[in-house]
Amino acid sequence: MTWETAPPYQKESDLMSESTSAPQPADAGDGRVPVTVLTGFLGSGKTTLVNRILTEQHGLRIAVIENEFGEVGIDDALVLDAEEEIFEMNNGCICCTVRGDLIRILGALMRKRDRFDHILIETTGLADPAPVAQTFFMDDEIAAQLRLDAIVTLVDAAHVLRHLDEEKPEGVENEAVEQIAFADRVVLNKTDLVRQETIDEVVSRIRAVNAPVEIIPARHAEIDLRRVLDVGAFDLDRVLKDDPAFLTETEHQHDSTVTSVGIDVPGEVDEDRLNRWLGNLLRTRGADIFRSKGILAIEGEPRQYVFQGVHMLLDGEFGRDWRENEARRNRLVFIGRNLDREALERAFADCLTTVGTAA
Amino acid sequence: MSGITSADLDTAWDVAVDDAPVALSAQGDLVAVAGAEGTVWVLDMATGATTRALDLPGGLLDVALAPDARHLAAAGPFGHALWRRDDGLTTVSDTGAWSSRATWADEGRVAITSGRRALVLDSDGGELWSTEPAASTVTDVAWMRNGRRLAVAAYGAVRCYERHSRTPVVTYPYVGSHLALAISSTGRWICSGNQDASIHIWRTRDGSELTMSGYPEKVSRLAFDDTGTWLAADGAPDVTVWDFSGKGPAGTAPRSLSAHETITALTWRPGSAGHLASGGHDGTIALWHATSGLPKARLRPARTMDGGAAVTALTWAGRDLLIAAHRDGRVRAHRLPHRARL
Repeated sequence: MTWETAPPYQKESDLMSESTSAPQPADAGDGRVPVTVLTGFLGSGKTTLVNRILTEQHGLRIAVIENEFGEVGIDDALVLDAEEEIFEMNNGCICCTVRGDLIRILGALMRKRDRFDHILIETTGLADPAPVAQTFFMDDEIAAQLRLDAIVTLVDAAHVLRHLDEEKPEGVENEAVEQIAFADRVVLNKTDLVRQETIDEVVSRIRAVNAPVEIIPARHAEIDLRRVLDVGAFDLDRVLKDDPAFLTETEHQHDSTVTSVGIDVPGEVDEDRLNRWLGNLLRTRGADIFRSKGILAIEGEPRQYVFQGVHMLLDGEFGRDWRENEARRNRLVFIGRNLDREALERAFADCLTTVGTAA
Repeated sequence: MSGITSADLDTAWDVAVDDAPVALSAQGDLVAVAGAEGTVWVLDMATGATTRALDLPGGLLDVALAPDARHLAAAGPFGHALWRRDDGLTTVSDTGAWSSRATWADEGRVAITSGRRALVLDSDGGELWSTEPAASTVTDVAWMRNGRRLAVAAYGAVRCYERHSRTPVVTYPYVGSHLALAISSTGRWICSGNQDASIHIWRTRDGSELTMSGYPEKVSRLAFDDTGTWLAADGAPDVTVWDFSGKGPAGTAPRSLSAHETITALTWRPGSAGHLASGGHDGTIALWHATSGLPKARLRPARTMDGGAAVTALTWAGRDLLIAAHRDGRVRAHRLPHRARL
């Protein structure tokens, strides 16, 4: 026997349509602690990179949450072990799946008096990045104090092609593809162990899945840490400035069911139509859309609307003002499974207030 | 008297500890304050003077004095510890397992969460029995039936155990993660606050269920009053208070207590008067006639106090004293002017 009773508040779990896709006031310089999520297969060099982050003189007080036992004991850093605990929700929505271990550990960290400058979460080789990322959207206590800065995926240049090509049973995602799809930064490690043709091939395969991702070549995980720590990877403006061409590249050397679709159109969008479309898109296709990001020009709004999402969850806010001589335009990217570029372009064009400017 | 806006409420004492407190416990003539970094300060309830300090390496998440104040249990991310008042002996169990909750059944037995298990220990830390591993780290435990039955909350179910059996005597399954447990003193209701922003309720008599969903945030604090008829919960800016009298809260609306932006503590005053204390992230403490008015009523606090830094824990020491801990290390005892009124 199950009873039902009136909820005391309006339910927010069917949140994608209204509440979260509605532009929110800017939250610039909000003082939240940046969190870097480090993914990558066993042997890709995660431990080497973590040890470098812990030992290098960067002056940051860092807390590291590891999912695999390491042997690090470093002054001024806190290293905690976590065993992956995946929490699904009663509503059965995969997009509400979060990492209970992280909620618990991050919650305890936040209760300490001394604040950390940065938090690094190292996941297991086979971990699904989605619940990790979703934790930062779904848990209000965490979202209020911590900011997901970037998902950094380490890739072993010598072995990644084999992992990418691995056939998986129906309905099971290839973890290597998934980790690349979710990444804001890919550290292409062990480039000294392979020939240039292999590197080119790997880069092209990574781009086929995740066109806008910044790829950082490395040996022995030696990279400028400023490129992976507190980078504001969700600052799409920067990414797009570096390489605006990726958005409309449609050539892929390999057939991949996980691809990126970029949209770059001038003009302004109607806020209501945008919310309806984006809400509906993520509600119906969110399971297949791993990441979404965008910088949009909303009609009548002096500031840029910046959003980023993981599956069905979307976080949007107004960013900087459009500059005086800057053309108002809209740039979006979706990374996901079986994306229909034409349909996405057409649907977005319907959100524009200036008819005829879209493709 | 620092920072008190309701000047008619006396501060019995006001002390500072050198850490951010995470939990409080008051029994007999003692108050225990757990600091996040791992120190427990044992204070004299009458004066606030520190009588003893002990450490649990790796930090603290909870502390609980035994009902006779002769023992204390402390729980933290890397294990648990027991302290004996008579000779000051501290027994640290460096289990490496996450322990977030300790709760005494009586003077001689305490339940402590330990990783995916719950342990029942004697007052010196000897293990009496333990549960089988749960599906996740155990989040909360609560005693039932005068300490004969232990309810254990983790991902996927609340399970009840008794000493004679390692497997549960009753399982209340649920798809989702329970963060906190509250069980009515009548034994009629088991309630869990959940990560999915709901309260789930089981009627123990027949296992029938009720979900109160629609909270804007996860529900991580909930408590029954002494009579077992009123349940207070967080999960929203307002504290919600549900009436469990008669057939329970099915189809009813709660009272809402509006004083904080973010609730960080709530605790019922001992007794049957429906007096509740709540604390907020903004440092305010509010006292409530939480059961007055009609269902759906939005109540205003009977008193508020501005304590400065965020409230991290509240506990009553009898009916006379409300102990409040703040993030900056302040611990204050507020004296209520009357044993039966707010």
